[in-house]
Amino acid sequence: MQQYVLYGFGILLCVAGIGYLAAEYVKYMSEIGQLVALLLTIGMLGFLGKYFQELGW
Amino acid sequence: MATKRRNLFLYLALACFVGLLAIFIVDGYLGVYDTVYITTGEQSWKVEADVWQRQYPTYAPAPIAEPMTAEEGKGGYYMGASREEKISFRYEVDNRKFSTYQADIEASVWHSQQKIRELISKPISIAAFDKGQLEWVIDNTELLPKDILPEQSYQYTVIIERGEIERRIVVSINPLVYK
Repeated sequence: MQQYVLYGFGILLCVAGIGYLAAEYVKYMSEIGQLVALLLTIGMLGFLGKYFQELGW
Repeated sequence: MATKRRNLFLYLALACFVGLLAIFIVDGYLGVYDTVYITTGEQSWKVEADVWQRQYPTYAPAPIAEPMTAEEGKGGYYMGASREEKISFRYEVDNRKFSTYQADIEASVWHSQQKIRELISKPISIAAFDKGQLEWVIDNTELLPKDILPEQSYQYTVIIERGEIERRIVVSINPLVYK
């Protein structure tokens, strides 16, 4: 169990790090680029959600 | 059938992720980027486009003091020079857009918030995915005040304006060495 908590913690840190870098990068993008990136992020999270829903989570 | 549908969602999520990476790369590449090449004496410096985005000044060749923070997007470039030197500037604009880029470019020398010399003022038109450049030379002997003492230093700022965008290069002229 303790192992999985550590895995979860590690994954959370990775996601937070990538999220931070992406947020810093997005500042320098054009407005249209930001909009497309937002739409793709929504799409990615939406499809990932549907995938896990289909898995029965 | 359910597995196929489930996998489809996974592939679509992956496709969005790949698209996200692609848009980051493409958007980072596209745009108008300016680079300044400075030559003085035997030294040359390349001031790349990202220098202007920084929140702290960039020094050539290395920091000489604790950097001061600047307003975002107004990072300046600091360099030294000697009194008798001529400084050559080459301002290069890289148009990485699908349309022709047009702008008025003005370069001038400022001291104590007063313009002391107009260096260049020219419109440029750069075709899509092409580069354009302007060159000028500053002679330090012409800029220095007549009554400057040998132990005095002097600073001036070269301001390059491209449309609404402004780039600043601060030149510090060192005092003469005591004999």
